[in-house]
Amino acid sequence: MNLTILNGGPTEADGSFALYCSTLSEKLGQTHTLQHFMLDKMETKQCIGCWNCWWKTPGICTLVDDAEQALHAVVHTDLLIFASPITAGFTSSTLKTFQDRLVSLLHPYIQLVKGECHHRKRYDKYPDFALLLQKEPNTDAEDIEIITDIYKRLAVNFHTSLKYVWFTETTKMEDISHELSHN
Amino acid sequence: MSLAIINGSPRGKKSNSKILIEHFLAGYRSQSNHENISVSYLIKSDQQKEHLASFSGSTNVILIFPLYTDCMPGMVKAFFEQIILLKEKPQNLGFIVQSGFPEAIHSVYVERYLQKLTLRLGCNYLGTVIKGGVEGIQVMPDSMTRKVFSKFRELGAHFAQHGEFSPAMVKQLKSPLRMSKLQQTGYRLVSLTGLTNFYWNSNLRKNGAWEKRFDKPYA
Repeated sequence: MNLTILNGGPTEADGSFALYCSTLSEKLGQTHTLQHFMLDKMETKQCIGCWNCWWKTPGICTLVDDAEQALHAVVHTDLLIFASPITAGFTSSTLKTFQDRLVSLLHPYIQLVKGECHHRKRYDKYPDFALLLQKEPNTDAEDIEIITDIYKRLAVNFHTSLKYVWFTETTKMEDISHELSHN
Repeated sequence: MSLAIINGSPRGKKSNSKILIEHFLAGYRSQSNHENISVSYLIKSDQQKEHLASFSGSTNVILIFPLYTDCMPGMVKAFFEQIILLKEKPQNLGFIVQSGFPEAIHSVYVERYLQKLTLRLGCNYLGTVIKGGVEGIQVMPDSMTRKVFSKFRELGAHFAQHGEFSPAMVKQLKSPLRMSKLQQTGYRLVSLTGLTNFYWNSNLRKNGAWEKRFDKPYA
């Protein structure tokens, strides 16, 4: 299985989120092909809504930075893991800024999906989604519901589904490994 | 009383958000001439301190942004991560979320987040105005934008008079939440003519990219 982690957390070596992600990455890498993108070490510019990726160079964002390698990986992965500590009640701005660049992987044309307007596919297949979250001290069940519902909507737009939601505090890495191996 | 408009569109002064705000403020000013009004653009990252000062130093703050991948743009999230740390907060906070999708349903999920964020900040929640079908307003003929611009002027006038988003106008702007079965059938029929993709096709042709429109560069 091809796995891609988009890590929107701080990547300093002694941070608990960074440690969880690097350990998980190492573990999953033993049985899967895995790419781990540490977004805060990459330059990712904010999508400026220029639509060049839709009407000038279809499928290719014209912003020059480090995003392209990760966008390429997203197209070829089976599972896309959005990994982030929760900050101000949502996934990090580092992750969200990269996430905004995913629009280049869709087509501008609109089609009806379950009675709603959504962009049509550019590629034949899109990966399943997973969320790996670390709670902040005041995170409650409503926050988790809000976050997962928004990622479920993102999944609809990407013609896929949010398959897993994991938490660094409570999800054992062995369980993640087991789930993915018995997928 | 002061009003700060914070524009969270990555397009900045070329944004559809700016146009909607101009109409909102035209209505607002028609009913109020004694309040301080500031408009700032988050895309101007060298003015970060001013953005935060504007946020914390105003009585009313309205933050407008376009829906980006079903949520707020990354740069708006970065702003949220900063304001959550501020000691001074505005008394009242409201939002306007606009998107290219014709239905409001796409934006109601982020609305829940915005309400929760406002609670977390300790501000009074003014509500979230949701407007779909906004992409393309800069090239649409007047006849297609007249009504929506008029509604934003009414929204602004009501806000100046009552310090709130007009519930009736919020409801009108949020419509349709979803397409009715009849609208869906109509949409399917119109899409057969290619009209639903006119905006994209005309730009693809203008840019000489028509033949490449279905390219899969990373396949």
